[in-house]
Amino acid sequence: MTATQTRPAATTGGPSPARRALRSLLTDRIVLLAVLLVAVVGWMSLLGAQGYLTGAYDADYLSGALVDAVPLAMLALGELVVIVSGRGGIDLSIGAIVSLTGMAFGIAYGRWGWSLALSVVLAVVVGGLLGAVNGLMVAYLRFPALIATLASYYAYKSLALVVTDATPISDPRIGALYSITRSVEIPVVGSQLPDVPLGIFTFLIPAVLVTWLLVARTTYGRRLFAIGTNDVASEWSGLDVRRTRFAAYVIAGVVAGLVAVYISGQFASARPDAGTSGNGLALPAITVAVLGGVAITGGIGRVAGVVLATLLITWLDAGILLAFEGNDGTQYQLLALGLVLVFAALLNGLTTRRFTGSR
Amino acid sequence: MTTSTEPSPSTPPTSTSLPPTALKAARRILPPAVTGQERVLVVILVVLAVVLSVATPAFRTAGSWQPLLSSVAPIALMGVGMTMVIIAAGIDVSVGGALMVTAVTTAKLLVDQGASLPLALLAAAALGLVLGTVNGLLIAYGRVNAIIITFGTANLFQFLGRQIFASQTVNGIPGTLELFGRGEAGRTFGLPHSFLLTLLVAAAAWYWLRHSRPGRHLYAIGGDPTAARLAGIRVQRLTLMTYAVTGLLVGVAAVFTVASGTSTLDQSVGSGRELAVIAAVVIGGTSITGGRGSVLGTVLGALLVQTVASGTTQLGWPSQLSDFFVGVAIAIAVGADLVRQRTRRAR
Repeated sequence: MTATQTRPAATTGGPSPARRALRSLLTDRIVLLAVLLVAVVGWMSLLGAQGYLTGAYDADYLSGALVDAVPLAMLALGELVVIVSGRGGIDLSIGAIVSLTGMAFGIAYGRWGWSLALSVVLAVVVGGLLGAVNGLMVAYLRFPALIATLASYYAYKSLALVVTDATPISDPRIGALYSITRSVEIPVVGSQLPDVPLGIFTFLIPAVLVTWLLVARTTYGRRLFAIGTNDVASEWSGLDVRRTRFAAYVIAGVVAGLVAVYISGQFASARPDAGTSGNGLALPAITVAVLGGVAITGGIGRVAGVVLATLLITWLDAGILLAFEGNDGTQYQLLALGLVLVFAALLNGLTTRRFTGSR
Repeated sequence: MTTSTEPSPSTPPTSTSLPPTALKAARRILPPAVTGQERVLVVILVVLAVVLSVATPAFRTAGSWQPLLSSVAPIALMGVGMTMVIIAAGIDVSVGGALMVTAVTTAKLLVDQGASLPLALLAAAALGLVLGTVNGLLIAYGRVNAIIITFGTANLFQFLGRQIFASQTVNGIPGTLELFGRGEAGRTFGLPHSFLLTLLVAAAAWYWLRHSRPGRHLYAIGGDPTAARLAGIRVQRLTLMTYAVTGLLVGVAAVFTVASGTSTLDQSVGSGRELAVIAAVVIGGTSITGGRGSVLGTVLGALLVQTVASGTTQLGWPSQLSDFFVGVAIAIAVGADLVRQRTRRAR
């Protein structure tokens, strides 16, 4: 289901190698993202070397920028699971879950003095429960996912603000958590390589591995793709469609709970609007998932695509920030994200029509 | 359509060429003028109004419900367009960004150019129309997923809006738009003009959707786009139109927003509005999967959302709690609609 686009290109030996390369570039999202990633980093490095940027766009800078990639990639993986589950699957509330679990974590860890391990467990449980509410509405009550998670987005966002009367929890213990986002030297080979934010090892890589194992190597993953591809067929072949879909929303909630812990550390305080201020965290996460090749109609999506899309957006944003004086860069990040998304969507439509013969 | 020979003035204009029996059949397949969801909403609104009036005497004063109606107007007006979009199985999450662009442009026109009210209104509507047309062209002719593409254009519109803001607020907005403002000049018989105009637009859209040929075609597209295309409906052109109309109405809503605000406009304008508009539409009983819905429900939905917000603050509860009730309202409204659909199907 996930690799169906690439298979024909690899097995049919008809067209010339150049045509096949072009075809896999256009139809295989991972190849396209890898090429774009190299192009962006190469071009930005060139600009930096020529002195067009306001700072150095080097390995140290790129590695430091990964601090922001951790929550984005993790939430996008949560969206991957939910969107793949099909029937219009989407989770608009994932940013609001981050806010609300962040407050629960902050209160338990900062105010009640729970141990870190216990507080993290609490964040995961609360995130899972909030996700379960979504799952209940979508899978069992058959609400359209967009509506169910729009409703819970409002409810969770509001509760997160009300819990502490909209004031952040900045206990010194949470402040000390800032160390989880500090950069560390990789042992043995670290002297040649740039320092990498600790969150990459403690949060991102485990999350990526677990999600990959889950969707690509377990029966749950096969069921998830099956219900996302064809709800009715799965039901008739004896799958518990509702339970599988319910679990997808719980997984997204659990991921959001972990992100809440990371973000509390990153900002050295538990903020009630951590996942909902400005555009929030949900829309960028959905954007990255879609850019990573997750089909919004369900049943298609790969972890590698999401990771590559996160890296592309993170390093593109980091470069744009250097290309403009002052605050202007953040505006051009919006422009870049919008253009990338529109072109990715147009390209998707074009390649499906051109290469799969459908419509 | 113009040379009507039918005696009854209430006859739908599109069915004038049909024989009487077909006319009867056409009337029968039309959905009821007021749906069950709308009746439920009216009851909820009345109960809410009574409870709030008893609990907080301040709610009964004009000073309380006039601003309420003013704040309903932009949401309901954008909701009219969004209803058409969603009926045709689309969605537009870029209205918040489009509102930002049109609002800041309007404000700048008033401050820098000293534009008159008609000019500002025309410019805002035209600009909104252009933004909506961009969405419509991409979705109808680029044949891409509506939610994805409007996430993209939402980013583009926000970029555009912030470029026009130039990292500052727009200050010293003159009272040119007071006809649509919160002051005495903005009301007739105690009702804000913005709300009255919204009702007028909603009534026209209600009639158009229910009784005109293209209006019925929108429902057909939402029900099954392929079947609609095979039946000879110009799916792409009508889809484009829904987004263009939404854009135009966003432009007018921007004028209302600027008019009812203070003399300063900041960059948070429009932020999150797309979700409020979609909430109003779905609370009003429009099916997010298309093919079913009404503008009347959307206006009631917008009223409900804003009454809940206003009621929360007047009861002395934290204002942030109002979003919680909005969330609950969405869940209940859509849940009730699902239950009704299921019982109807079971019958």
